[in-house]
Order: sequence, then C-alpha cells, then structure tokens
Amino acid sequence: MAALSNLKQCPPFSALADPSFGAKHIPELDSYPRIHVKGELHNSSAQRFYGGPGFVPVHEGVLKRIIRTFFEAGFWDSLAETRSEKTREQAPWLGKTGDYISQLLGIATTLKLKVFPHTHDLSAERIAQYVETRDWIDSDVRFMAWNCHVFKLAIAGIDDVVRIYTRNTDAATTVLKSTTQTQITCMAWRPLSATEIVIGCRQGLCFWVVDNTMILGRTNSPSQFFKHPANLPITSMQWNKLGNLLATASIGDRSIIIWQPDSGLMEPLKRLGPPGSLLKWSPGNDWLFAGTVDRVFRVWNCHKHWTTERWTCGNGGHVQTACWSPCGRFLLFVSTTEPILYRLQFVQQTLLKSTKDEKEVLPIADLNACSADENRSLIGGPVQQLAWDPRGNYLVVTFKSTNHIAVFLTFITKYDLQISPAYYLSGEIAAEHPSFVCFQPLYKEEDRSVLTIAWSSGRIQHYAFD
Amino acid sequence: MSHLSTINACKLLLFRRCLQAVLLTVGIQFLLLTIFLLFVNFQLLRPLHWISVTLSLVCSMYTWFASIPLVGAVVLYGMILCQQHLAERLYCPTRFRWLVHYAPRKLLFLAAHLLVGYLTAWLYTGYMHTDYRHLWYKCYDQECISAYHVYLLGMGIFAGCYYFVSVHMRQEVEIEFPIVNHLWGEKLREVLYSSLARSLIKSLLPTLAYTLLFWLFGGVVCHKLSHIFAVDLDERLEGFFGVATNGRLLFYGWLLTSQILSNMHLMRCFYSMFLSEEFPLAITKNRAAFVQEKEVTVVAALGLSNVYVVQCLAAKYLYNLVTAGDAEKRSELFQLTEPGNRPANWRSLCDQCLSLFGNFTDELIDSMQKISVLKGSPSSPPLTPISENASASLMAERVLTRQYNQMHGIRAIVSPRSNAVIDRPVDRIHRVPDWCERTSMQLEQSLQLLINRIPGIVYMFTEPEGAKTAFLLTHSLPLVFVIQALSQICVFSLKEDRYGVVQTDLPDIIRSMSRLKGELDKLSSVASNLRGPGSSFSVLRGAVRRSLFHICVAFGEYLSELIPSGEELHQLQTVINQE
Repeated sequence: MAALSNLKQCPPFSALADPSFGAKHIPELDSYPRIHVKGELHNSSAQRFYGGPGFVPVHEGVLKRIIRTFFEAGFWDSLAETRSEKTREQAPWLGKTGDYISQLLGIATTLKLKVFPHTHDLSAERIAQYVETRDWIDSDVRFMAWNCHVFKLAIAGIDDVVRIYTRNTDAATTVLKSTTQTQITCMAWRPLSATEIVIGCRQGLCFWVVDNTMILGRTNSPSQFFKHPANLPITSMQWNKLGNLLATASIGDRSIIIWQPDSGLMEPLKRLGPPGSLLKWSPGNDWLFAGTVDRVFRVWNCHKHWTTERWTCGNGGHVQTACWSPCGRFLLFVSTTEPILYRLQFVQQTLLKSTKDEKEVLPIADLNACSADENRSLIGGPVQQLAWDPRGNYLVVTFKSTNHIAVFLTFITKYDLQISPAYYLSGEIAAEHPSFVCFQPLYKEEDRSVLTIAWSSGRIQHYAFD
Repeated sequence: MSHLSTINACKLLLFRRCLQAVLLTVGIQFLLLTIFLLFVNFQLLRPLHWISVTLSLVCSMYTWFASIPLVGAVVLYGMILCQQHLAERLYCPTRFRWLVHYAPRKLLFLAAHLLVGYLTAWLYTGYMHTDYRHLWYKCYDQECISAYHVYLLGMGIFAGCYYFVSVHMRQEVEIEFPIVNHLWGEKLREVLYSSLARSLIKSLLPTLAYTLLFWLFGGVVCHKLSHIFAVDLDERLEGFFGVATNGRLLFYGWLLTSQILSNMHLMRCFYSMFLSEEFPLAITKNRAAFVQEKEVTVVAALGLSNVYVVQCLAAKYLYNLVTAGDAEKRSELFQLTEPGNRPANWRSLCDQCLSLFGNFTDELIDSMQKISVLKGSPSSPPLTPISENASASLMAERVLTRQYNQMHGIRAIVSPRSNAVIDRPVDRIHRVPDWCERTSMQLEQSLQLLINRIPGIVYMFTEPEGAKTAFLLTHSLPLVFVIQALSQICVFSLKEDRYGVVQTDLPDIIRSMSRLKGELDKLSSVASNLRGPGSSFSVLRGAVRRSLFHICVAFGEYLSELIPSGEELHQLQTVINQE
C-alpha cells in the first residue's frame, strides 16, 4: 500500500520544466572531442585491415592448404576450405568428402537442437532484444565506455571497430579492430588501469592494452582473448572495483561467469533458472545485480559466500535496465512490461536488529508516455536505459519509442531516496533519438557530472550538469 | 609469542584442518563405492531392487571390514599430502639437488598412490561378477590364475601411478584460493559433480594405454604369477582380440580407473578447500594476561616464510579484511596503542610488508642476472645517436621503434657498433701469463669442456636458466595479496587514518612498489620463455601495476611532496597521465 501512495506522489511528465539544453555555455566542455561517428564510419582509415592481404600469395597444395587452415582457424574453417570452389577444381573428391561430412554434421546438429532447443545459435535480433542500446542492430553507436581514471572515451561502432577518443583532439584516434571482435554488445575499461579495456562481443571477450605503442599501428590484435565456455556471445559484463574480477553474462547461459583474467581462470555462479542478460556490480562491490531473459532477477551478496536473493518482475517481461546509486544502497530498475521505475533498498538495519535483512521493491516513478510540449511530442513509455550521475543528484532515463531524454532530480539519504522530475533533453531534430547514454566518472572532486549521449544520427553530445 | 610457538600454533591449526579433510575423504570412499555399485548392479527393469541391493551391500559387514585396508591407505595418503602442504619450500638450483631433496618424499607419495590404487581395485573387484572376483578360479578341475582379476588389480596400480605422474611428480602441491567463495555445501557439491563427471572422460586414455600394455606384457605377468602360486595359466585374455573384445572387462577397467582418479582428485580438492578457509588471525596482539596465548597476529603469520601456506593465508586474510568494506575492522590498523600512544599495529604491518617486498625484489634482481637475455642489461639502455641528416618524422619513427623494441625485448639482428673500438686506449700494459699458468688454464678449460660433454652432467648439475626467477614467481601469491591490501590501506588512509600514521611511510611504500614494477617490466619480455611460473607472472605484474596506479591516483596531488623531484617522480606522474 505504501508503494501505491508513493507512486501517486510522483508528478507526471506534464509537470516537467522547459528544457535547459543548450541554454548556457560550459567552458569545461570545450576541451571535449567533437565526435560524429557516422562520418568516421565512412572514413577509409577505419576500414578493416587484416594482415593477410599484405603478404604475397604463395602456391600451396590442396591438402597443405586445408591443414594450414585447420591449424590457423580451426575445424569449421578447414571444412569450409574443403568445400570451396578452389578445392573442388583441384581435387573434386575432397570437395565431395567435405559435403558428406557437412551433411552428417548438419544431421547431428539438427538432432541436438531438437533435444536441447536452448542451445540454438543466438541471432543478432535476439541479442538486440536484451542489450541496453536502442535499435542495437542498426545503431551507429553500439556501446560507449568512459575510462574510470583518465580522459578516454571508447565508442563501439556498427562496423565492429572501437575508437578511443582523448582530450587531445590533434592526436590520431586509436582504433581497435580485429577479426575476433564482431557484434560488440558491451565494453568496460579496467579499473585501476589507464590503458586496459575489455570488449564483449559475439566471439567472447577481447582484452586490449591501449598504450602509446598503438600509434605505430603494430598492436592489431587483442592482448588476450577469452571465449565463453559454451562458445556463446557475451551480452553484459562488469569489472569489480579492484579490477581483478570480471563478471560476464550471456543470454544463452544460465550461469554468470566470474573471470580472473590475469590467471586465465574463471568460475561460474550457477543457479537454476533462465539465462542471464544484464549485470550491474554495486559501487562498493557488495552486491551483484543479475537480470535474466525472463521475469526472474537475482541479487548476489558478494561478501556473504555469494548467496543470492531471487526476485521476479511483471509477467512476460524481463528487467530491461538497472542502475545502482553511487552510495550502493539503492538499486533502480525497470522491466519491459510496465513503464514503472522500481527501487530496491540495501540498507543495513542496525538499529532495529531484524534477524532477516528484508528488502522491499517499491515503485517510485510513473514513466507512462505523455505529451512533452505544445507540439504534442511524447515522452515516456517503455524504458530503454537508466543512468545515474556519479554524484547521485540526477537520474537520466531514455525510452524505447519516444525520442526525449528525461532527467530526474534525486536526493539520497541514509534510509530513503527521493526522486522528482526535472526536465528533458532533445536531439537537434525531432527524429533524432538517443541510442546510448552514459555518465563520465568524476576524475577530480570539483568536476561536474557530464552525460555523454550517442544520438541515432551518430552525433556524440556531452551535457554537463550543475 | 615467539617465532617457534607461532609456527607451532599455525601448524597445529592446519593439522586439524588436514584431519578434517582426511575424515571427509574416508567418508567419500563409501560414496564412491555406492556409485560404483550402482553402475555394476544396474537393473533397468527392477529399479527398487537395484537400489536396495546396492545399499545393503554398502551397509554390509563385509564392506566395513574389507574397506579397512583402503581407509588405512587413504589416511596414509592424507598424511603425506598434509606433510607436503606444511613443508618448507626450498629452491633447488640443480636437478641433482632436487632429486636429493625431493626424491624420498616423492617416492613415498608414489607408494601411497600405488597402494590406494591397488586397494581400491582389490576392494571393488569383490563386488564384481564371479569371474572377476578372485585371483584364481576352477578351470578344467584345476586351479587357474584369473587373468581378469590380474588385469583389474594392475589397472588399479596403473591408475594410481598415472595420477601421480600427471599431477604430483613435477609440481608441488598448492592450495588454490577460489575465485568465488561459495558456501561450504555448495563447494562440496561442485567439486563432487565436476570430479566425477570429468574423471569419466579423463580415465579413457589411461584405460586404453593400460589395455595396450596388458595385451603386450599381461601374458608374462600372468605366467610369473602362475609360477609363484603354482597354479595353471589362464588363457582367456591371450591375444589382441581376447582383450579388445571383452566389453565387460573394459567397462570394469574404465569404471575402476575413473573411480580411482576421482578419488585422488577429490582428496587434493578437499585439502585445498579446508586449508584455504579463512585463518583466524588478529591485528592487535591482546596483552591481557588471561587471553589465549596462542593468538597469532597477521604480522607474525606473514613472517613465517618457511611455512608457505600460512603466509598465503595471512596475506589473504589481510586482503579480505581490507577489501570487505568494513571500516570498523580496518580502523584497528590505524589505531594508536597503549602504552605510549604509538601506531604499533601499522608500524609492524608496514615493516613486515616492506620487508617482504624488499626481499622479493632483491632475490628477483639476483635471479634475473642469470638470464642471458637480461644479463647486464641496464635499466635504460643508452640511446645510440641518430644521424643528423634524417628528417624529423623519420627520427620520430626510429625513436618510437626503438622504444617499442626495448619494451618488448626485441634485439637488433646486427649488434650496434660499439664506440669502445674507437675509444680503446692504444697503449695499455698487459700482464702476460707464463707458460705454466697458460698450460694449467688450458688444461682446466679442456677438462671442463670434457666433463660437460658427458651426457647428463650438464642436465643434472647445472642450474637451468631462469629457474630461480620461475621459482620466485611461482611462490609470489602472498605478495599479490599483500601488495593489493597495502595499496588499499594507503588509499583508505586518506579518509580513515585520523592520526596520519600511514603518511610517513607512503614514500617507502611507493618506492618499493615502483622498484618491483620496474623489475617486472624488465622481465616481461622473457617471462613467457621461463619454465614453470605460468600465469603467476601476469597475476603479480597486474597486481603491482594496479596497486601502484591506485596509490598514484589517490595521492596524485601530493606526489611531488611525497617523492622528491627527479626521475622517480616523473615516472610516477607518467603512470597517472597515460592519456
């Protein structure tokens, strides 16, 4: 009941103030790089370059070529090579043998899929359903990540290339591209390091070291590459604050995997239930939120032997997005079924000494679509992404079907969180919608909170809050 | 508490844990036997009968009595494992020294493996089909030796030997700290599932290898045994097809191997699980007269360099204490203690940690001198002058290439022209040795060459290149935890250290970390060629780099006050400003 009354108190969007976007000049933002990803996507320098074409081709026998392909690229590529036109011309019997093997494997795969339907190859459409980026398949920007300590912004584009931007705009943009890095779903800079970034993609995890030697163009492959044990795409990941553990989730796997990249070891967190889709580590690393592809979501207690609490959201949906408050005491999330912002509170009740640390999910904001201005453009509806500023003063919400960004004011006390609508941000044109948003970490105490917005046009905008 | 009593207290505690592991292992024997019986007595159409027969067999008096020898062997195995965990880790520079030091211990352990393998096979054959149960049987009204039984007993011994060779022969036993610290029951379930499932696959190769060996030499063994026991020879397993077509025998052999392998793997995991549990240590030594005398402090435990496990546990305890987010517990580190209101806790911890870093770095530098690629390489090699007629962009490219090559240890194909040739003094007086001295030197050199040419001499009596470095890196786990914990303490001290006890030691901590980082950076080009350390190098290097970065970022504004200006300060500032 208390939750309902709380919901009623939340003012509707029609009460939002006028947009303050672009009204004043912020000098700090002058040093930020001006980025337009669409222009760079067509830039020839960012085209894929593979080492292979640079070498003079040599003549090699069919068998030798197939064996080489096997050792270089594995069984499936060598089978494809066996069935290629070139091989058929040189040794038709090998091509036929390849066909027979392929048919046999096809039958085996069909049988396997009939018995284990959940092991079906995960399509891009299915991945797009669960990632936080809007229109992930066609969006120019697929993910953005700010370095935790130095001014470095990584932007993953639709061309599977990650570009690293720094404050120094004269320097050439560092480009990370590799054949083992397609369909990028997530990225994360390693905490306590200025140079290491990990990219989650269809093939697994690509670890890069972005240092000065990259200008020479020699580092054209990841420093490390880890595949998911079941060869599945990585859909979400997060580092712990010390940068020694990396949690990953895949929409094809029930387990969350905790990696120790330095030692190359990993350990799965196993629970019965639907596969995982979204991971968010609390700022203090006390809790790990894990959303799934179904209505179930879990919160793991990282200090108490990784025990877990199981929660469910509305029927037929899943948690679309979630974020932790900077203090780590509150978790906000939204499901795909209803445009309601929920809050989960993690405060130690030391005064009342309750034996069971009971938590309660409370709805705190109604995000149903409503008219934003006199042009009757809408704001609200199903939520795409949440982002909370590092100072805990602003909460930013983007939507799946409307193009404005809603900004809420938040006030955090020890046992309570108050939220009120502030204003909204819009693109340069009405059709422009936010694909991805993220806040820049605070590098100094006096720094402003800066929101980085990747618009659907490929434009990257930085918006500084007071 | 003296050093000796600290060692005793720690060892006693660990011994208790080892006993718990032994007890659990003994209990697991009956679980493994039950699984084996469920396989052997499988009846698809009568499931209840199948289960009741299996359970009644496990609970029968025969089983309890027959399993006594196996339980004894398991206890012996456990004791040896316990001794290996608690023993001092000594560095043996040559293979001969390794043999002298480790061979008796390894042989004893091999014997324990063979005994456990043999007794498991002996116990399990008692529940098999009648043909497989006894060493001899009635054939043509005469006693014959049963080749089936011999095959299975041999399988047990072979499986034990296989596990020892593949897991324990070259490596020392190590405790593994889990990445995710699950509840005890969950850990046990996970270990059981993974061991049992994996051993079914892993036992395929040894089963096939043993079967091949039995086909080749089994006849000889059976013949010898029939002579010893004065019975007739069994001809059922003669020839290749006799062995290969006996499906039931192969199935029994495979099942037996998988049981033995999983049994030994489980014993290893249980020891690791029990020993890696958090150690009850204290930060402050309680001075009250009535408190337990055997309370061990973190600092004392960290100082036990001769009990590696205790050092690891103490380092892990410190790491957990600092990273768990409990400010109250951390505050003990910054406390002023009575009498004298001195920061005794911090002082002792800091001194111990710095001594650990210092000793490790010194030993690492010494060991790196013996690596030929690094030998005599200065920390920053002098730059050769670039010709003046080169353009600016070309010069920049060359400088970058040289930096890249130096960073990754790439040497030039042609050695750079030495200026020494030009600078060589023309008139130098050399002492010319007389003929006697010359002859003796030549003789000595030829004798050395001659000895080195004898096969095995160099192999046995020469220290392999980089062996000491690999040994140090393999045993660097305590340092990994301590270095991360110390950097966290330093960072937390900004807000939690009310008396400023940490800040006086910050320069020393930063310097020691920076020094270690420098040495590890030098080693990075050759680390992959070293035999042994595996991922230890990257774990240690990553921990040192992140820890130093953390401190530098947290104290960025005060770095110039902490470290006097110079090359060191410049290096630290570049660590932060890697944009």
